[in-house]
Formats: sequence, structure tokens, C-alpha cells
Amino acid sequence: MDRGAEITVPQSVATARKHKIRQSISAWTFLIPALMFFVCYQVYPIFRIVWISFTDFEFLSTEPANWIGFGNYIEAYNDPLMWKSMGRAALFTVMFLPGTIIFPLILAILVDRVRHPLLATLYRLILLIPALIPSTLVFVLWKWMYNYQIGPINYMLVEVFNIFTFYNAPQWLGGTNLTLPSIAIMEIWWGLGYHAIFFLAGLASIPREMLEAARLDGANEWHVFWHITLPRLAPIMMILVVLRFGTSMAVIDEYLIFGGFNRGAPTYTWTVYMYDQAFNIGLWRQGFAAAVGMIGAAVMVFFVAGLVYIFRPRG
Amino acid sequence: MVERNEIELKLQEANRRQLLQGKIDRREFISRSMVTGLGLAGVGVATKYGVGPAYAAEGRPLTPTFYDWIEGLHPGIPGVNERFPGINYQIAPVQGFGIERFVAESKKSDSTWDVYVGQTPFVEMTSLIEADVIEPWDNYIPADVIDDIIPSIREECSVNGKLYNWPFLLDVVGMGWHSGVTNKAGLVDAAPATWDEFLDGANTIKESGAAPFGATFDAHGWRSVAPLAHSGSSDVYTPEGLFDFTSDAAVEALVLMKKIMQTSNPDILLSGASDGGVNGTPDEVAFSTQRVGYYVKYFNAPLRMAQYWDDPKQLHMGPLPKVSGGEGSTVFWTTGCALFKHGQNKEKAAEYIQSLTYDRQIWKDSIAGTETAHVGQLPPYSSIYKEWGESKPDWMLPFVGLVRGQLDRAKSIDNHLFGLSQFQIGQPFWEAFLKGEESDPRVAMQNVTDAVRAEMNRG
Repeated sequence: MDRGAEITVPQSVATARKHKIRQSISAWTFLIPALMFFVCYQVYPIFRIVWISFTDFEFLSTEPANWIGFGNYIEAYNDPLMWKSMGRAALFTVMFLPGTIIFPLILAILVDRVRHPLLATLYRLILLIPALIPSTLVFVLWKWMYNYQIGPINYMLVEVFNIFTFYNAPQWLGGTNLTLPSIAIMEIWWGLGYHAIFFLAGLASIPREMLEAARLDGANEWHVFWHITLPRLAPIMMILVVLRFGTSMAVIDEYLIFGGFNRGAPTYTWTVYMYDQAFNIGLWRQGFAAAVGMIGAAVMVFFVAGLVYIFRPRG
Repeated sequence: MVERNEIELKLQEANRRQLLQGKIDRREFISRSMVTGLGLAGVGVATKYGVGPAYAAEGRPLTPTFYDWIEGLHPGIPGVNERFPGINYQIAPVQGFGIERFVAESKKSDSTWDVYVGQTPFVEMTSLIEADVIEPWDNYIPADVIDDIIPSIREECSVNGKLYNWPFLLDVVGMGWHSGVTNKAGLVDAAPATWDEFLDGANTIKESGAAPFGATFDAHGWRSVAPLAHSGSSDVYTPEGLFDFTSDAAVEALVLMKKIMQTSNPDILLSGASDGGVNGTPDEVAFSTQRVGYYVKYFNAPLRMAQYWDDPKQLHMGPLPKVSGGEGSTVFWTTGCALFKHGQNKEKAAEYIQSLTYDRQIWKDSIAGTETAHVGQLPPYSSIYKEWGESKPDWMLPFVGLVRGQLDRAKSIDNHLFGLSQFQIGQPFWEAFLKGEESDPRVAMQNVTDAVRAEMNRG
């Protein structure tokens, strides 16, 4: 009996092992395409950039790149322009991030209260219109809106309401202190409907009975919002905050279009600085630009970790 | 035996050269190889010396690529293309002068295109040479064409005596004025001869209320600091080819800019609407909306802006005013054609560019204007001006003589790796003076120089 048991146990272990290996092989077979895409499209470029950041690689130079260790990082760390431009990006993020969460949230709560099915659909469609406009068109539109001389905003302020004159009207874009808030307003408008749809999806998942029960128990609308709606929207809020933190810190298209390469402009952020070094100045110091990019990425990862912690699920 | 091999090699080399020049085709090349008794040895020679490009040339049509604004402003280009059947005409991926695609291809000893039309020497020519992307035209451009290029332009387009930019479109910085505005202000309908007269006139325009603003200019350094400095002296370059921001003429130019700004549109220092803020600038908006009297920029700008006026004939143009006792020079540049080192069809490319740059319809459209554009860019060849001088076309406009005359006084910005970016790096520092954040123009310009030097010394 004992011998038989000794023989049977290894056999079943072997069979289980074979089964496990077979399962692993089939799982890996299905994973290979995605894995290859991930490695080639994401992992390799990141490692390549990390490697470049440790070299003196210059794109226009015909000389081979040399390994210089942390030379680029030390230079970037000691470069006042690097930190000034990082501060500008952070300033923009501070202006942009609250607005891109609070306004869509309010809008979503209002739209969620519309009970007429046709109107509710219509409002949702209208909300999505800005998100469907191509970025270039949005920039052209707002550049015209903000134009000092012929833009409709200044036209209203100067010609209609006579608050300003031709000589002292606000200079919204192009390097003034109003530039970053102006771009933030544009970005908030652009993402308003898109972000509101996120919140609407979250609101739809809150059981109506729960809200009605709270009201029956005497909770007013503020209590309902604060104690039921907001906590249940927290996961969506976290996703939006993390995503939008990343995009707002790393904005570049808008800055290049609205501010160019003027280093004195508020739009000359670390991303523009990186681009300037990599594709515009001298022999295009892409090794140094890569180091700037890696430092920027590290700073962003640090803050994203903090945001994830703040918005972590509680209770 | 050795002697026979040498003769065979010489014959084969001659065949190969003719093949590369397109004088014989592949079939003829092989036939000749057989006749000269070379057979497979001939093919070996051909392989050794690289017939590959010639084969590829047969397989690929002439492929020029243009900066898109050139196509937009010069509607006659398709007419030239019709004379080159099978041409693969393309628009260049160079928004904001981005040449990365050209460089990336060159690193692989390749080029999708044969020639790039849109190169401005001081902007990107040095970069393209440094990156080994382009080669001189000297081996392909006919000698009489080289001789026909106006000497100052030829100098602008050459490095170490080699022509790296086949010039196409000439731009010279000057001034334009709106006679409707100036007449209303009671000013004489003539170009101010000096900057003092210019400033008096600009103040009069503003104070009289003839227009909200007296004068305007494009705040980018190569369109303002450099030409205004040249109006005092064109000797404002260091031996290595950088703009000398601390020279007296440059400092005076900065002071002059500040004086003009007192009469100008307040958004004058803001960036433009397109091409990374370089184009669609506030000065263009002010002049096109008839809110300013005087305008300093390359001549094609006032011409283009006046198209939006109630009466475009109220546009007048004149030379850049002089600094009293100064040289009275200005700045010019050409936009031209670069020959890709790893391109193919090089002889054909030269033939095409010659045809393009001498095309009389393009120049007529540029000068007289079309329904879609009035560019005012001019040819770089002496013979064309001579021809127009001898037999004036009925569509000829007075500004052509003016611009041509200005060219003799003008100087291009020196070619340098930092030719354009020195002005981008320096802009915040001289703007500190213009905005009143720095009271001493010399200190501001010294800061510019220091910033440019610091950037050059990096890496």
C-alpha cells in the first residue's frame, strides 16, 4: 500500500506539472504579440533614452557619441533655466488641474439631474463637441479669440464695454503673465465635456435608492453630495487627477504654438527646453535633452505617487 | 596584361561616368562593357565604384520637396513641374524649419528627396552642412548660372567658396507706409530718409489720430535688431560669424526699437500665430487692419498685408531709414535650394532648379500678384533685372527697382550654427530693456552676448 502510494504521488505531480507547463505555454503564446508591442514600443525607447542621457550624443554631429556618465544630469541639475522652466510647468498645472476637475464635476451633477431622456442625451452630445475638435483647430480658434488687436474678447472689452482702450487692453497670449491662465482656460474648456462624461459614468453607478434613502432620512442636497456622491466619485477623480497631472506637466504643443522658443516667456517650460536642446540649438544636444526629460519624468512620477496616495480608497 | 587592364579600366570608368550622367542607359553600358572585352569584369568595376545610385536614379523620378509656404505663395510652380514629366513633387516635413527627417535619413546614407526648396542660409544651411546632409551645387550648376547670381547673394549662399544654397527667392528688409494714414496725418507722401524723420512721422500719426499706432516692426531679432543695426553699420559681426550684440550699431538699434515702440501696437513683442510664433506676428495684424502708418519688415510683408486693405494702392514702400551719418545698409536673405548628398538625380535636380528659378511666370506672379497672392519676392539673377531694364514689362511695379537698389546696400546675416538661434537665445535679454526691466541698453546687450556664449560653450 505504501509503495503504491509512493508511486502514484510522483505520477500525479508530474501530470500536474505538465498541465501547468502546457497552460503557461498557451498563455505566453497569446501574450507574445502584446508583449512584443510593449517591449518594442515602450520599453525599448525608454531604455534607449536612458542610455542616450548618459552620452554626449548630438544629433547633427557626425562624431560617435561618448559615454559621459552623469555629466548631463549634473549639468541639468545645476542649470537655473531647467528649474525655472520646471516651475513654469508646475504653475500651469496648479492653474489647470483644479479647474479640470471641479467644473466638469459640477456640470456632470447638473446634467445628471436632467430627467427628460431626449434632453439628457442632447446635453451629453453638446458636452462632447469640444473634445471632438482637432487640437490644431482648437489652438487656432483660441489664438484668434485671445488676439490682442482683432480677437473677440478684446473687441468686447474695448469696443463694446469700453473697459479698456487699444493701448491698455489685456495681452492674453504670447509671453505675458496672462499667458498661462489663458491657456489653462482653453484647456479646461477643451476637456470640459470629456471629463464630465467620466463623472456622469460614475454618477450612473450610484444607486438611486441610496440617494433617495438619504433624502428620506433628512439629508439635504449638500449632505448627499458630500457624504454619498463625492466619496463614490473619488476613484474617477483619482484617475482624472493622475492623468491630467501628467498631461499638464508635459504640455508642449500649445507652448510651442503660443510662445515659440522665447526663453523669457512663461510658455518656455521644461518640455520646450528639452525640445529646444534636442531639435533647435547648436548641434542638437539630444544626450542632454534626454537627461532633462528623465529628470522631468522622475519629478512627475514622484508627484503622481503622492497623488495616488492622497486619493487612495479609504473605508 | 597590366597595361591592358589599365586601358580597360579607363574605358570602363568613362562608361560609368556617362551612365551616372544619364548620357547612356544601362543597356548601353552593358553593351559597351562587352565590346571593350570587359564582360563580367566591367560589372565588377561598376559595382566597386558604385553604379547603385545610377540604377536607383533610373528607378526613382526627380523628387524635389518644398517648404509649404513657397507653394502657397508661388502658384506658378506647377507650371514648371509640367515641364518635367514624371516629377515626384512633394511638400517638405519641415514645419518651423525642422530638418530632423533630412538628418535622420542622411545618417543612413539615404534621402527620400533629391532637392529641398526652402533653405534659408543663416537659418539652417550650416546645420545641414555640419550634419553632412547636403553637398555643394558646384559640380552640377552651370558656370553661367553661377556667374549670373548677384555677387552678394552668391556670398550669402557659399561656405568656403562652395555654393550650398542655390538661391531662389530674395527678401530685403525695408519699410512700407499706408498713404491713407500718412496723408490724414498731414505727412509728406515720401519715405523718411532718417530714423529721426521716421520717429517724428510715427509720433505725428499717433498724435493726430490718423491711426491708433504710428509705426510697427517684427520683434524677432533677425527682422528688427539686425536690420536696424545695419542701417547704422553692417560691420556688426564677430570674426567667427556671430552677430555682435555689443557693437555700437546694435546698441543704437535697440534704443531705436524702444523709441519706435512708444508709437506702436502694444502687443508688438508678443509671438506670432504660426510656425512656432515666427509668422503671423502682431505687426502683420496691425498693418493689415490699417491701424498703423509706418511698417518695417522685409518687403513682401507689407505687400501681402495690403491685400486686405480697402485700397491696396495706398501702399508705398521705401528704403530702410538711415541712422544719421550711418551706413544706411539693411538685411537681406534668400530662400533657396539644398542638394541632398544622398539624393539621386542630381543633374536633373540642377536642371529643374535652373528652370524653376529662371521661370518668368513665377516672377511675374510674384511681382504683379495673382488672385491668391502678392508676394513681392524677387529673383537672384543679374540677367533677369538686366532684361527687365532693357525691356520693361507692362506688369512691372516700382518696388522692384527699389528692392534691387536696396540689395546693393544690404548685407546678409553671417552663416553660423547659431545664426538664427543666437537671436532666439538673446531675445528675453534685450526685451528686458524694451520692457523697462533693464535701464541700460549696453548691459542688456552684454547679457545677450553672455547668454549666447554660455549656450555655445555647453557640451
